[in-house]
Amino acid sequence: MTDRSDKYSNKYKLSISNPKVFDAVKMGISILIGLTISFVILIFVSNNPVNAIITILTGPLTKTRYIGGVIQSFIPYAFAGLSAGVLFKAGAFNMGSEGVFILSGVVITAIATSPITTSSILHPILCYLGAIVFGGTVMILPSLLKAKFNTNEMVVSLMLNSVYAGVAAYLVRTFLGTVQRGSNSSKDYLLTAKIGNIYEPLKISVCLFLLIAVTIILYLVMTKSRLGYQIRLAGTNPSFANYSGINAFKLSITTAAIAGVLSAMGATTALLTQTSYYTPSQSLVGIGFSGMLLAMLGRNNPIGIVIAAFLVKYLEQGSQILYFVDNKVPSEIIAIIEGVIIMLVSSQYFLRRFRERKLLEEGLEEHAE
Amino acid sequence: MKETILKLDNVTKVYPNGTVANRDINMEFEKGEIHSVVGENGAGKSTLMKMIFGIEKPSSGTITYKGQEAKFNSSMDAIHAGIGMVHQHFMLIPSFSIVDNIILGDEPTKSIFIDQNEATKKCQELSDKYDFELDVTAKVSTLSVAKRQKVEILKTLYRDAELIILDEPTSVLTPQETEKLFDQLRQFKQQGHTIIFISHKLEEVKKISDKISVIRNGVSKGTYLNEELTMEQLTNLIIGRDLDSDMDKYKTHEDFNNEKALEVKNLYMEKNNKPVLDNISFAVKKGEILGVAGVEGNGQQELVKCITGLEETAYTGDIFICGNRVNDFNIKKRRDVGMAYIPEDRMNDGVAGELPISDNLISTYYTREDINKKVFMDTKKIDEVSEELVKTFAVKTKTAKANVNSLSGGNVQKVVVAREYNTNSKFMIAEQPTHGIDIGSEEFVHHKLIEMRNAGAGILLVSANLNEVMNLSDRIIVMFDGKIAGYFKDANDVDESDLGMYMLGAKRQSIEETGGALND
Repeated sequence: MTDRSDKYSNKYKLSISNPKVFDAVKMGISILIGLTISFVILIFVSNNPVNAIITILTGPLTKTRYIGGVIQSFIPYAFAGLSAGVLFKAGAFNMGSEGVFILSGVVITAIATSPITTSSILHPILCYLGAIVFGGTVMILPSLLKAKFNTNEMVVSLMLNSVYAGVAAYLVRTFLGTVQRGSNSSKDYLLTAKIGNIYEPLKISVCLFLLIAVTIILYLVMTKSRLGYQIRLAGTNPSFANYSGINAFKLSITTAAIAGVLSAMGATTALLTQTSYYTPSQSLVGIGFSGMLLAMLGRNNPIGIVIAAFLVKYLEQGSQILYFVDNKVPSEIIAIIEGVIIMLVSSQYFLRRFRERKLLEEGLEEHAE
Repeated sequence: MKETILKLDNVTKVYPNGTVANRDINMEFEKGEIHSVVGENGAGKSTLMKMIFGIEKPSSGTITYKGQEAKFNSSMDAIHAGIGMVHQHFMLIPSFSIVDNIILGDEPTKSIFIDQNEATKKCQELSDKYDFELDVTAKVSTLSVAKRQKVEILKTLYRDAELIILDEPTSVLTPQETEKLFDQLRQFKQQGHTIIFISHKLEEVKKISDKISVIRNGVSKGTYLNEELTMEQLTNLIIGRDLDSDMDKYKTHEDFNNEKALEVKNLYMEKNNKPVLDNISFAVKKGEILGVAGVEGNGQQELVKCITGLEETAYTGDIFICGNRVNDFNIKKRRDVGMAYIPEDRMNDGVAGELPISDNLISTYYTREDINKKVFMDTKKIDEVSEELVKTFAVKTKTAKANVNSLSGGNVQKVVVAREYNTNSKFMIAEQPTHGIDIGSEEFVHHKLIEMRNAGAGILLVSANLNEVMNLSDRIIVMFDGKIAGYFKDANDVDESDLGMYMLGAKRQSIEETGGALND
């Protein structure tokens, strides 16, 4: 008897009927289909479609500066993805990450432009701390409003995003601006605030290690901690979480704060590694929203999200390189690949029949035994 | 020789998650008979009915309807062929009138408009023909459950159903309403309709059926004429052994010094300016089961809400759990002082279906030391505990890692009971603990409740199932209209019909008599 069940569980692990294996296979096939579709488009727009697709796929690897660009630019997106992943897992539809990014930018800029310290180690740390405290606080606002006034988190957070964008533009123009750059951007950051690279060719900075550490911690928290367990329960069935004695209000505030902190880390990383001044209408726009797509691609799993962020940025880099060598192909081609992949991955029906047939076979096999 | 209307040949169904729900089922249904299909939860009745009604397709085997092989792609095909189904959960739109609900999807038209007059006329005629006593222009939201069920049946008749499948039709009805339904079913039978009757309540099955088919573990255990079978034989066929319904012999009688697990004093609650709980006082001692009997809707749900603190509710009076006044406690704190709770709505409150069984087995004590390490939870220990519980509670699953959604109703309830049992609480509220689950699981749950009682837990058993209350309880209170209408010091001396009189409000005890509920 035990013999038989062991045999079955082994098979279960390796087979497509295992949800995790299925997700991985589905992801792989989605990417393949996305690439195939873009290849078909390339046939029409490019004189040398084979070269073009190869450039997209391998271009970033041809020069260290390219892959370095990927490494530098994917980190803020990964943080945004982690932020959205935490919220989605908890069943909260708070879309405030975008706003937190833009508004934290002001706080970071304020700290980075003022000579509060001469230490080039302490100054970035202060920027991070300021942003973290600020971002964590700002993000809980939609959850607070929901608990107190039963407002809709999604609507409130989206509205607040617009408010924050306006406030950020005003603050930068009024308090942090400089005549040299017109009224839309801040003055230059002090050199002590900027984060240099540890390994210049690949643009590896300390932020990469920060991201890795945060991802591992977050993964452990989500899978092994009591907080992660609460988030799982509340995210799948709020009534059950309530019945089990989990305080929904406290939990929603906690998760929002964590998400805010993660977004703030992303904003700080983006500003201190990639720019030397802040333009609210440009610098950080869209990262928060992209985070939601990454969370979806990564199935709300921290490690999956980080990998997704890297791959997306890699393909974007590839398409930009392609534009340099073959300017008939707009770099927007990558948006098509991304769109197709996200659509297929998030589809409940895609490949479902395939999996069901396999399950059916296994079910009948077991029945025959 | 009667004519066969529906025939199943070697029908097998394997679900996408790998479960073999039905295996080589052979069954024959004749025109004009009432044919019951019985079996435990998860035995495969529902799947079989879904295949007949076109919702699911058989993996192999054939279904022959009126001499032709039926290959239904959807329930629409089945409906057109003349098969109707009344689901356990009604499929009605409350804000629509009866007529609108009945004609939905099959509206009589005049040019491009719905012919309301024609529709109303047709529906009213149909209702009158079968003595349904319905005003078909009334809105469904204003109807009682029994009347809604009639609307569901009318829906099938309107579509000229010859074969009507009734899935657990009596689970929502009072005994009187059930009797009425049976009269109507007999009338259908005389007019040549065939009825397939699905039910857990074997007394009713015996009462109404011409033939009975039994399914166990997805396999048919044969079709019998009703007269051929005794109740004992039927039970034996369903669960594969004799049922042990005498719970008294398992009870031990230890003395727990009259310690009180729960004490409720002068509980009063209003809804719409009407008292729904009116001066309720009683106590549950450690080592006893106090049964709360009553027709649904006489204040039991409100009582449970007040005691568990599941929702914030406004009431006056005092509630003590294991000696602590808990009025201002939330559910977490109440659990901390020793409360466990088996909720009535198990799918909503009792489990998270999309999470593994193991996650569901620890939710009410996940902070407990034995399953936690310093920083993280002890996943290894949790797996051990879950596998152990799955084994002791005979939850039918390959592994505790499977999602709760893959379990049948009875097994979901076992998960809930296993978890609450494992809290080692001194006070337990069991709210409709066996509602809608099969007799095998029911028996199991009963045994576990007795086990907890013997170990010194006080159990408040709230149930609409009179047999359950009488079999399990040490003492009984009856609720009627928000009050304690009757109190019985010894459940063994209670007469069922007497209890019924109190439940219906025909008899009522004085305050002095019911005072024993608190003080005995």
